[in-house]
Amino acid sequence: MGKNLAVKSARAARDMTQKQLADAVGVSRQTINAIEQGEYNPTIRLCRAICRALGKTLDELFGEDDEQ
Amino acid sequence: MRKSNLDEMQEQALLKIEHNGFWLAFWGLLASMAIQALLGVAFSSLLGEWIIFMVLCVYAVVSCLRHGLWDRNLKPNLKTNLLVSIVPGLAVGVFDMLLFRAKETEPLDYLLIGAIPAIITFALCFGALTICTALYKKRREKLDQESN
Repeated sequence: MGKNLAVKSARAARDMTQKQLADAVGVSRQTINAIEQGEYNPTIRLCRAICRALGKTLDELFGEDDEQ
Repeated sequence: MRKSNLDEMQEQALLKIEHNGFWLAFWGLLASMAIQALLGVAFSSLLGEWIIFMVLCVYAVVSCLRHGLWDRNLKPNLKTNLLVSIVPGLAVGVFDMLLFRAKETEPLDYLLIGAIPAIITFALCFGALTICTALYKKRREKLDQESN
């Protein structure tokens, strides 16, 4: 599984830290870091929560084109 | 449902730890009982371990069947059940030969001591697997029908 740069760049665009995003979606910072590093494949529920927090669509953050 | 302190990734990590703990207990108890038996410890002294081991086994089998789960890699069919049953059969045969090695000296006795329990174990395992396969298929069918 490649790194998820889309989540990282969307988070950076909103000037959010991993901790702030983690608090916004109710997970640990370690989990957000693992998602960005491509070490953890989140459930659809968490994907949607991250999309809502970052104002992006599922395709934009977790679409196949974003897998590297 | 009680709110968990863990997020989904932590939950998965904890499940993995618990999974490893289960198999550690399973193989640890089995090894412990086998070693103690080889050292001549009476079965009554192993009763506690044996009960816990059997509880683990029954829990795992019943839970898997209830959820319609079989092995990750092996298929529930006659050929696989036959091949899989050979493993515990051979293990018990070798174990019994080791267990009684000091008492018997004749090669034929060794073979009989190993072969008879090996065949019985093979037959019991094959029988148990056949029953479990039938129960699994029945349960799988029921769960699949419920899902429709």
